[in-house]
Amino acid sequence: MADQHPPQTPVQAQRAQEAAGRYTRAGLWLQVILLVLLALEPWLVSSFRVMDVAAKVMIFAVLVASYDLLLGYTGIFSLAHAMFFGLGAYSLALIIHHAGAPLWYHLPLAALLATGLAVLVSLVVAFFSLRLKALFFVVMTLALAQFADILSIQWHSLTRGEDGVSFKLPGLLDVGWSGGKLWGLTVNGRLLTYYIVLAAAALLFVGLVRFVRSPAGRVLKSIRDNEQRATALGYKTFNYQILANVFGAVVASLCGVLYALWVRFVGPESVMSTAIMLNILLMLIIGGMGTLYGSIVGAAFILVAESWLADGLRAVKVFLPDLMVLQRLADRWILYFGVLFVLVVIFFPKGLVGSAREIAARRRARVRE
Amino acid sequence: MAAAEPLIRSQELTVRFGGNVAVNRVSLAVEPYTLKSIIGPNGAGKTTLFNLLSGQYRPTGGRIFFKGRDITGLNAAARTHLGIGRSFQLTNIFPNLTVLENVRLALQSRAGISYIFWRNFRAYPELEDRAYELLQRVLLEGRWDAVASTLTHGEQRKLEIAILLALDPELLLLDEPTAGMSLEEVPAILELIRDIKDAGQRTILLVEHKFDMIMSLSDSIAVLKEGRLICDDAPEVVSCNPEVLEAYLGGGAKDA
Repeated sequence: MADQHPPQTPVQAQRAQEAAGRYTRAGLWLQVILLVLLALEPWLVSSFRVMDVAAKVMIFAVLVASYDLLLGYTGIFSLAHAMFFGLGAYSLALIIHHAGAPLWYHLPLAALLATGLAVLVSLVVAFFSLRLKALFFVVMTLALAQFADILSIQWHSLTRGEDGVSFKLPGLLDVGWSGGKLWGLTVNGRLLTYYIVLAAAALLFVGLVRFVRSPAGRVLKSIRDNEQRATALGYKTFNYQILANVFGAVVASLCGVLYALWVRFVGPESVMSTAIMLNILLMLIIGGMGTLYGSIVGAAFILVAESWLADGLRAVKVFLPDLMVLQRLADRWILYFGVLFVLVVIFFPKGLVGSAREIAARRRARVRE
Repeated sequence: MAAAEPLIRSQELTVRFGGNVAVNRVSLAVEPYTLKSIIGPNGAGKTTLFNLLSGQYRPTGGRIFFKGRDITGLNAAARTHLGIGRSFQLTNIFPNLTVLENVRLALQSRAGISYIFWRNFRAYPELEDRAYELLQRVLLEGRWDAVASTLTHGEQRKLEIAILLALDPELLLLDEPTAGMSLEEVPAILELIRDIKDAGQRTILLVEHKFDMIMSLSDSIAVLKEGRLICDDAPEVVSCNPEVLEAYLGGGAKDA
């Protein structure tokens, strides 16, 4: 295609170069390797714990990426993102719980309900509070999230309150089902669910990447940069902010469905609480705002640290029982976590991925000179 | 139509701020594809007149016609859609985006693809190529991949003109495009304005402080003084007008 029109301008030359290097980009290979590793994970490490963390990292990576669409790309600071996650999780849990027995059509129905609820609620949020000043918007979304949290605790007949809802999945996805061995690994409901989570998370992530690299995504970026200028170009900035809000909410809600699918238990503490919202924020800050891929790093960082930092320190306690000081410190593993977090923020103010990109760009600039 | 109708015309245009009449019964007409400069001492009402024409202010009296149509009641956004583009005295760009992207976004706005969120924005190479052409036009193509905030002040003014051209307006309202610019940068901007004029596709209304610079550039020059239009004629005629010499060159030259 490029042969008939030899590149003339630097813009065309750069485009041709990008098209030629499309399949040799380092970023693409990183993604492929990550995907293959995640797909082979059940065979590589025969530990349910590793599989559990891997699945949760995938779900949270997409959830954090959808939040990045709001905060990092559009500059909308919402504290109601965990609420959408909770809406999705409860959609699946409550449909199966109230239906009595799990059936296949419950899954698409839950996805549909989660999407519908997310669209509806995010539109309400957008219309009532997006026009407010930034600070009021934050307070409004926080109030709404609190309301949803309280609702999930108090409305006992619907949600079983703080006890939460544990449920079974239909047919092949049920934990009890087992379909023999494949290359030395038992194929069961867990394994199949893992692959559903993997496929769905990958699809949603690609959807988010496409969104930010689309014409509409570019407008969002311009709004964050200089809203007045964007308006002067003829963009109805409010419409774009609504679009980002709704898209982010739908993805978050579908992440909630995936989470419920994986954990098979949904409670206020685990999907609705402010603690989840704070976790999302921490993951985003660690990974880097406005990078999208940073959410993978951020989610992995926090979830891995949460699961194994405590273990590592407990091991210290077992092997060095005489050192009281060390034991005391091991009891306070959460403290180390805090220190780790502070260090990341100090040394990588743009997040791990954001800072890595900056370094790479600087090196490229130096090579060009 | 016998004689060409003026592209934009004001009729007895007046705006009053409290007791102060900033623009006083100004009737002005700009013929299509010409360049008219508006000059006058500080506080003569030049920028206020611009704000009236582009719709930032509402007049307290008089009317404005664009291509024969009364646009007095339209707001700024509606006038932009009709084809009136304006640049501001203060630079207004996207500081954290690249130079090319600044212009591309303006083109995208006109292309009607901006709500598309499933296709890659680079799937529209024609927008990028057109943006690059516009950068060539304003002599900024060497900086196409620079982040806009790293440009010099003069380069940012050029970028703003490229963005303005990308919106493809019939009438360009340029409010002191050389304001705050270093002396070395000024000739390039004036050259650029001359190029746009010589291309013969656009009508330009220019506010400028520096009399000598616009003499050769303008088809006509309008002189404002204390909100009144005291003269509107060919540059040679205006420069000989004793009232102008007295009002502008005599009084205003000191602070210019």
